[in-house]
Amino acid sequence: MLYILLLILIIGALFYLFVTRTNFFPARKLTRAQENANLIRVLLDLDDESREQLFSLYKEQFGDNAARYARQTYVKWKAGTVRPNKETFRRFLINLPQVMSFDLKCEVLRELREAYCAHDNYEVTVSTDDWQAKLTPLVEGILKKAMTAELPTSLQHRLTWLAEDDVTVANAILAESEARQTMNALALLENEFSNIDQLLDNTSGTSKVTHLLRLPLGTVTLQIKKGSADG
Amino acid sequence: MDDENDDLVQQKRSLFPLTAEDIVDNALQSLDEQQAREVTKKAADEVVKIAVEKRKAEYRSDRAQDEMRNLINNANLLDEKVGDYKINSTFETATGTTSVEIKKSKTNFTLIIVGVALIVLVILLLILRA
Repeated sequence: MLYILLLILIIGALFYLFVTRTNFFPARKLTRAQENANLIRVLLDLDDESREQLFSLYKEQFGDNAARYARQTYVKWKAGTVRPNKETFRRFLINLPQVMSFDLKCEVLRELREAYCAHDNYEVTVSTDDWQAKLTPLVEGILKKAMTAELPTSLQHRLTWLAEDDVTVANAILAESEARQTMNALALLENEFSNIDQLLDNTSGTSKVTHLLRLPLGTVTLQIKKGSADG
Repeated sequence: MDDENDDLVQQKRSLFPLTAEDIVDNALQSLDEQQAREVTKKAADEVVKIAVEKRKAEYRSDRAQDEMRNLINNANLLDEKVGDYKINSTFETATGTTSVEIKKSKTNFTLIIVGVALIVLVILLLILRA
């Protein structure tokens, strides 16, 4: 009897390990309504100025009452306590982009890229001597990705305005901007490693240093050790 | 003959798929004057935005440098005055967040030395007795 119980326990443990390691049950696909709600939430993440422009445009296009309702409800849409209906989705993400300024379209696209372009997270152990050599190939990959990052095809099929010429140009501007921000971050990293090197050199005891490098399309966690050249 | 070669090159080129640059070039060419002006303005705004962000990051970097110097001083002061200490510190830097943990434990080290010495002593006594 005891052996049977043990066998069941072992089989159960093995099944649990299999399910957790192999992602046996894939994440449930979102319904169209959930997808719409997420898209509205991303749109409402715009900075204050752009969001104000969006609401003014909404008022112009759909009237005072609709605009008042949108202003009153947007916090609830953002928090997810109220789910926007199909018409709200159509107004915000299908109709309004047709009349948005290029500037506002760019800002909407920026939010969509941030939410929907794949973000990578890396973890690397480096020393104050070899960090440049170790990071160079990684950063080249990240830069390439920034220049070629695209929104998911399903999203592009739904929001057809994303294929229009001005949005293609907006996408190129944002991709270039992300690449430049990545380059700037790397230039600044040299100074930061010099600070960390000083810290490791001038403290006794054991020091553990971790740096989370934030880039437009991902993060790199650096576990930093003292370089061998420093002794 | 030259014309023929040109034709061949042209034909060959048309077989290549469009690159990202071609797509952007084509898109730029199909914009009207007003749209082209808006694009130029947005590109210029973006350059300014990146420069402002860079300046802010440099400021964060300077502040983090000062904070790290203070941390070194504090750790060295503790090192002189107490045997055991552990400092955890986090800095917002130009490119992200740096987390530092500095730890020193003289007590543990002394305990290990005493423990090893005792074991050696016991072994020596056992050997002598035998």
